[in-house]
Amino acid sequence: MTDTKNSRRTIRFTLNGRPVAADIGLNQNITEVLQDSFGLGGSRESCGQGLCGCCTVIMDGKAVTGCLTLAAFADGASVTTVEGLADGETLSAEQEAFIETGAFQCGFCTPGFILMTKQLLDENPDPDDEEIRHYLSGNLCRCGAYPEIVKAVRLAAGKRRNA
Amino acid sequence: MAGTTTTVGRSFPRMEGRAKVTGRAEYVYNLRLPNMLHAKACRSTISHGRIRSIDTSAAEATPGVHHVVTGADICKVLPEPFYGPAFHDQPILALEKVRHYGEPIAVVLAADPHVAELAAQRIVVDYEELPAVFDEVEAMTSDVIVHEELKPAGTFADLKHLAGKRDTNLALDYHLRHGDADKAFAEADRVFEHTFSTQQTMHTPFEPMIAIADVRNSAATVYTSTQSPSFVRYELARLLGWPESSVRVKTSHLGGGFGAKVYVKTEALALALSMIAHRPVRLALTMEEQFYTITKHPSTFRIASAVDKNGKVTARKCEVWWNGGAYADIGPRVTQKSGFTAAGPYNIDNVSIDSYALYTNRPPAGALRGFGIPQLVWAYESHTDIIAREMGIDPVDFRKRNILRNGRMQAVGTVVKDGEFEAILDELAKRMDWDKPFDRGSGTVRRGRGVAIGFKASISPTTSSAIVAVNADGSCIVYCSTVDMGQGSDTAMAQIASEVLDIPMEKIRVVNPDTDVTPYDMSTLGSRSTFHMGHAVRLAAADAREKLLALAKEIGLPEGHNTPVPELFVRKFGMSAGAIIGSANYIPDFTPPNYSTGQSPNATPFWMSGATGVEVEVDTETGQMRILRMINVCDIGKAINPVVVETQISGAAVMQLGFTVSEEMVIENGQLTNPSLADYRIPGIFDMPSVMESGFVAADQQNGPFGAKGVGESGTFGVSPAIANAIEDAVGVRITKMPIKAEAIYRALCVKQGRELSDD
Amino acid sequence: MKPFGLAEPASLKDAIAMIGDADSGVRPIAGGSALMLMMKPGILQPETLVSLRGIEPRYSSIETAGDGGLFIGAMTTLRRMELSADVARHAPVVTQALRRLSNVRVRNIATLGGHLAHGDPHLDLPPVLIALRAKVHIAGRDGERQIDVEDLFRSYLETSLDSGELITGVTVPAQGNRKSAYIKHTTRSADDWPALGLAVSFSLDGDVLRDVRAAIGAATDIPQRLKSVETALEGKRAADALQGAGDAAAAEAQVHSDARGSAAYKRELIRVFTGRVIRKAMESAAGGTI
Repeated sequence: MTDTKNSRRTIRFTLNGRPVAADIGLNQNITEVLQDSFGLGGSRESCGQGLCGCCTVIMDGKAVTGCLTLAAFADGASVTTVEGLADGETLSAEQEAFIETGAFQCGFCTPGFILMTKQLLDENPDPDDEEIRHYLSGNLCRCGAYPEIVKAVRLAAGKRRNA
Repeated sequence: MAGTTTTVGRSFPRMEGRAKVTGRAEYVYNLRLPNMLHAKACRSTISHGRIRSIDTSAAEATPGVHHVVTGADICKVLPEPFYGPAFHDQPILALEKVRHYGEPIAVVLAADPHVAELAAQRIVVDYEELPAVFDEVEAMTSDVIVHEELKPAGTFADLKHLAGKRDTNLALDYHLRHGDADKAFAEADRVFEHTFSTQQTMHTPFEPMIAIADVRNSAATVYTSTQSPSFVRYELARLLGWPESSVRVKTSHLGGGFGAKVYVKTEALALALSMIAHRPVRLALTMEEQFYTITKHPSTFRIASAVDKNGKVTARKCEVWWNGGAYADIGPRVTQKSGFTAAGPYNIDNVSIDSYALYTNRPPAGALRGFGIPQLVWAYESHTDIIAREMGIDPVDFRKRNILRNGRMQAVGTVVKDGEFEAILDELAKRMDWDKPFDRGSGTVRRGRGVAIGFKASISPTTSSAIVAVNADGSCIVYCSTVDMGQGSDTAMAQIASEVLDIPMEKIRVVNPDTDVTPYDMSTLGSRSTFHMGHAVRLAAADAREKLLALAKEIGLPEGHNTPVPELFVRKFGMSAGAIIGSANYIPDFTPPNYSTGQSPNATPFWMSGATGVEVEVDTETGQMRILRMINVCDIGKAINPVVVETQISGAAVMQLGFTVSEEMVIENGQLTNPSLADYRIPGIFDMPSVMESGFVAADQQNGPFGAKGVGESGTFGVSPAIANAIEDAVGVRITKMPIKAEAIYRALCVKQGRELSDD
Repeated sequence: MKPFGLAEPASLKDAIAMIGDADSGVRPIAGGSALMLMMKPGILQPETLVSLRGIEPRYSSIETAGDGGLFIGAMTTLRRMELSADVARHAPVVTQALRRLSNVRVRNIATLGGHLAHGDPHLDLPPVLIALRAKVHIAGRDGERQIDVEDLFRSYLETSLDSGELITGVTVPAQGNRKSAYIKHTTRSADDWPALGLAVSFSLDGDVLRDVRAAIGAATDIPQRLKSVETALEGKRAADALQGAGDAAAAEAQVHSDARGSAAYKRELIRVFTGRVIRKAMESAAGGTI
């Protein structure tokens, strides 16, 4: 039985492949903890309602809305953020594709789109445009880079298939 | 100025691309300072009223709260706490009165943002509610007066004539008289008059506005997601009574701006809070709070045209009312600058324009991607289309009969030069296959197409300064205060420096704006940076190049030598040491308009224009409209970076698509009912047109840097009226109010069929 | 958010014991998407959350009966339902509805139980499940009970769950050769909350409709059956009954004006989409369509 009065606890999880621990407030979401405890800024709270996808992280292989996910639920999980995609200086296929197609402007939503692209291509290596839109429909880009983003996903799919 | 270039004109990927795709790009949002407090505001729950009392006791009693700050506390550190670019009308926190829903009244400071938020919810404000005015036309004559007294700021050369006033909601009126419109109307074959309106919308930059202020030792440092670092420094120094050298304003990359982050937004409050707390204070707005901070002007536009039997517009009368909300922000400039293009990109001999900036009890309105132009184009291009259809003239042909060509005088009295209005219209018609048969659908699904064209003058007169340093190893640093908020300015400025100095792109760095380091720039707004800062960087780089030549001469090298740059430094300084510093200020020529006639022989250094064509499909059983194809063609002069330019055009069009069909701030019973992306719907990926194309015409802005001109807004101009025009083409109904919702189309179809739908 | 405690019981029984009365400041949390949206602005300020994530795995499973009936545990994520071959085979209209329900990220987290317990009329599965004659399994301190999905919704954001009760799962009866369809209609942006959701299910006896179930969501205060539509269609050929069914639906549904449209407009939409959803069901493969 857990102590239900304490509003803080220590969580342990795997962050971008490394085991980590953090002392968190139970009222903190995973995006806040990534920023405050680990200095990772790629997951960002913008709309605060799970609509824009700027806060996306991948938890146990599934993309989730960081700003609506209690950090406590990361306890024991494996969390991947956009910072965990590149291998040293070598960018992932998705990251390369977003640069090569010019699929971002201000860049604030970009990590979310890249992580959703990874989720899509992990589940469907050869998606058609409808499937691409389906996966990305929960991410918003106020700069309106959608046409280039769809191109980026197609390019990333090709890069991954040929890798 | 064009000539052959090697770096300029090539589509280099954005310099900050790797940082953005790895999540490591710097935004002020990600900055944390040691010992920092978080600020959360308590905001007005009414639109207009006197504050009887503010009970902060419960907030102060909340464990973890450091300070609870009200307007009275602000006055203790900043005795005249009013700011604003056109009028000093906006209090840092409400004093005595609130003038709009969501106005900040008090702030809680705490080390834990959750504590600050909770305590802010516990502040109780008692109001004496006052009647409010929300409509711009009503505000002209309303008994409700938003401000007892208007105090012009006197900041800008083009707004020097603003005078203080009492007992009016009119912040600025602009009048233009060109030819004799009354006479032309009296003699006209046909006269048309229509009224159009636009709704209140918001920029919703995804990095919500944020400022972190740190005041200590009689110096202030403010880290902020601003588009206007130099202006923020100026305004904070004025509030403090300190020299500008004691105020340092730093920005990073911005997660979007679109005009939301020009002038002072969060900075003055953050500054005052840090002075009170004696600690760094982070004031980060939420998406919701942005809706209370700055918006786009709602507007009403009554437009009338006199037309002869050949379809030539002989006169136009324009009356435009701009709803500036509770604080003027840059609204007066929107009224004036946009005002003089209200008759459209047409060659009309007789024009009269009356443009009014009004205060109301809505959240303040300012600049949003187009500085009022999209509101005007909505009206004049809807109106123009109606005239063409009623006269039985093809809409493209009608526009071409009247288009304003280079060498002709625009209504403001300035001769048009390098304005490719006709060329973009031609290119658009070509891409749309306008002269080919068009499938108009059948049954309950009908198809139509429409075009529209708009234009804009640059904001003037404005100044940009730049420093270009060549290091001893031959690398280069560009110091400028242009803020890269996604438009790719860092890359463009680097390309210009690279071109002038013949230094490869990978050896050039562009410094993020920091007013202690990067010199003055008026602001990153109004598509001015490529032209103004582009020139400043070009001139500063040329200055550095001259100094390098002088250095070579000094150490005895012959003209035309090919000694590498690092070698020059070694020979001069005995080792890899020293630096060459080039610098420049740039301000284009300008003549302010005459106040009574609105005329100026030199109103703008360049003209921007954009044309949009759409094909739509309308479900006549529901009014639901789908955009099958959208084409945007702009005059961009010569592109510094074609790929970046193309994405600017399509991105602007996507944004305007949202303003056209779904985005609308709704105020009911004095409350803003939808300040969130859940209920304020911006376009998502399923809202994109099935096919979208962006293009530009081959052109040359002869007085621009390497032939370039601004382009960030041009993609917005034609979108809204093109859609309305296509809807009329498809199903024969005309929508005159934005946004164009399916229900509005359906209701219009009902009226057309002679059956009225009830209002419930 | 105000600080709170978190309990993570390992069994349904323990969870029920912890939840207690509704006003005790204790709230259950499953996926948490809807709950977080109410807690962030302070609309809900619970003292303690009881996480259901650790309860028995049966409540996260999808089981198929021999006749094609389905049991879907309340803790099953919407994404698992969407990707379930069993759901696609036996209730393809559910799979189809899930494809356009919020987005992949939310479906990865949101659970069937939370979706139903939220009581929000704008959600997609309630009308679909009503049309499929599904039942909700409910457990409380006094034991278990089953009710029809349509009986779960009492008023806007209010369900008939007693304090201390939890949804444990949903059974969807075998659909046999029944045809069904769902249409979601948004009036602002494409991925907006719906202005209208309409679901229908029926058997075909030759070209005559039998045992019709019709349900509406989003436009009304609660998701509910449209009995007048069922009556208008029962025993008729679809082609003869579409107009009457649409008129009946528009007359029966109690709709309100809101940001997604006026009441008058929504009645027009209901009229049009009632015909469209029946036609869509007619064109669907047996059991539904994807």
